[in-house]
Amino acid sequence: MHQWTRWPLRITSSLAALLLFNQAVFAGQFLSGTFPALQNHRDNATYAGIAVLAAAVAAALIRWPGGGPIWPVPAFLALLGLITVQITLGFLRVLAVHIPLGVTIIVAALLLAAWSWRYRPAASPIREAEPVGARS
Amino acid sequence: MSLSRRQLLGGLSAVGAAAAVGVPFLSGVRGSSSTGELLPSRIGLPKPFTLPFRVPPVLAPARADATGDYYRVTQRAALAEILPGVRTPIWGYEGLFPGPTIRSVRGRRTVVTHRNELPVPVVVHLHGGHTPAGQDGFPTDLLYPVGWTGEHTMTDGVMAHGSRDYVYPMTQPAATLWYHDHRMDFTGPAVWRGLAGFHLVSDPAEDALGLPTGDRDLPVMIADRSFDADGSLRYPSLDRSLLHAPGVHEPYGSGVLGDVILVNGVPWPVAEVPAVRHRLRLLNASNARRYRLTLDPPGPLVQIGADGGLLEGPIAHEALEIAPAQRFDVVVDFGRYRPGQVVTLRNEFGDDTTTPIMRFRIGGAVPDTSRVPDRLAPAAPAGRTAVTRDLRFRHGEVNGMAGWTINGDAFDPARAAATPRLGDTEIWRLSSDFHHPIHLHLASFRVLSRGIGGPGPYDHGPKDTVDLRPAEQASILVRFTDHPGRYVFHCHNLEHEDMGMMGVFTVRR
Repeated sequence: MHQWTRWPLRITSSLAALLLFNQAVFAGQFLSGTFPALQNHRDNATYAGIAVLAAAVAAALIRWPGGGPIWPVPAFLALLGLITVQITLGFLRVLAVHIPLGVTIIVAALLLAAWSWRYRPAASPIREAEPVGARS
Repeated sequence: MSLSRRQLLGGLSAVGAAAAVGVPFLSGVRGSSSTGELLPSRIGLPKPFTLPFRVPPVLAPARADATGDYYRVTQRAALAEILPGVRTPIWGYEGLFPGPTIRSVRGRRTVVTHRNELPVPVVVHLHGGHTPAGQDGFPTDLLYPVGWTGEHTMTDGVMAHGSRDYVYPMTQPAATLWYHDHRMDFTGPAVWRGLAGFHLVSDPAEDALGLPTGDRDLPVMIADRSFDADGSLRYPSLDRSLLHAPGVHEPYGSGVLGDVILVNGVPWPVAEVPAVRHRLRLLNASNARRYRLTLDPPGPLVQIGADGGLLEGPIAHEALEIAPAQRFDVVVDFGRYRPGQVVTLRNEFGDDTTTPIMRFRIGGAVPDTSRVPDRLAPAAPAGRTAVTRDLRFRHGEVNGMAGWTINGDAFDPARAAATPRLGDTEIWRLSSDFHHPIHLHLASFRVLSRGIGGPGPYDHGPKDTVDLRPAEQASILVRFTDHPGRYVFHCHNLEHEDMGMMGVFTVRR
């Protein structure tokens, strides 16, 4: 049983969610006049993107060899796509979209991270052949 | 009871997550009262309230006749004793920092002949002056030094060598003005080195009010500076000659904040004052620092004037927020305090060294015939608005480097961002990303609104500089009168100004 396959996703998706939440923290700070927070906001966007990419890779482990669902992979890749759009919008100062999209990204990242902690692998395809209750 | 591995991991994860968000959140939760970086001094600093307060000397006219008052000012390098026992090289008007105070009377032409003995070209701007375009100190109207053998910057400005006259008609109400250097790209370091002084305008209407005068009318120039180990003024210029590359080292591109508060060039001075009403002409001559001024023990700061002159009536404040280049004329009644008591002017936006500003030691009670009338000046006339303009002051890219922009553009002396018609009244909607004190040359204005409300508590009266806070919009009502031609408007965070945040407006006939 590949129970361990949940852990890389739990760690990377939680890290991604925390880094993405910190984008709001840094935004609040430069909107309070703290100039270096703007650079933090910019740098942290890159780190958060890397964390989401790592989460997409970790999500693949849920499927192979974990035997779990495939949807987390496209979900994290979609999140990465939104982040790419978000970074572009930030540089272009399209704040009327950047801010609501940022909220959406943070909510999505938190939901995905929460799922990674709730997820219990169902019996794997191999084990499905075995009688119920035979699992240790 | 023992922790399971699972509980331990869970607990550690929760602590880690809380720290990952909590540390950055808490470390920055207070925001910033000024946009800028603190540049620490590298020399021992005197104890606050040990050095005597002084006011800059009043310049005597070289001559005065029916055509006006004529002054001569030589700009030169000098050594000043700012810190006790330390010689600090400065650039000064008449070799002084602050420069000598010039006093004009409304309607009486004032001619100031500036002679440049500094190693760089200069531009003199009378800040708050209602001045013809050619005399206003356009940033490329350079006055080259006496005997200049260096190259000449190719500009479309008016060049002069050695000395030139600045002719001020002074057709404006009584007000606390100031003059300072305004050369394109190098205003921040030049003002930091000392090129700033008061220019006070009086008029008979003000004289008749009975406000405190004479030695009870004190100009108070507040400026933060930092000192290097050798006693020189520390400033992060890329090019210390101030001739070639403009700008400052990172991280100071957002503004330079000093850790020494100078009042009229003296660190944290103490003034002996009789227990009577005094008029304090507060000027923030700092490059980037904003202050929130209060008295301790608490007492009202009764505002009677703003940048462009007297308010319609006095306003009592518990505190005053003053952005770079702004002036607040206040009356403080020291008669409220006991003789011998000390009253401290504090900065609630400050830290260890920048919270104290200066101290007053209250002397004996003496007769006081001064008063603060309920009516000070007539109401501003209302005008029909011809144009509404939107001007966005933002961080942005300037020549491939981090800089500051207006509507996305960096300063270009050849391109007008606005072309108001002479005599027109306009509404300018100004919006910001960080703290930007926005200053218009030529015209004083009224603040109509700030955010979704009316003017803020520090927006009253005739202004020439409005204090925009981060992500804020303010609307100002401005009338362009008397003088056509080319002027600038800009952020008075001088590092922002030098790194692009300036625009041209051309008043057309």
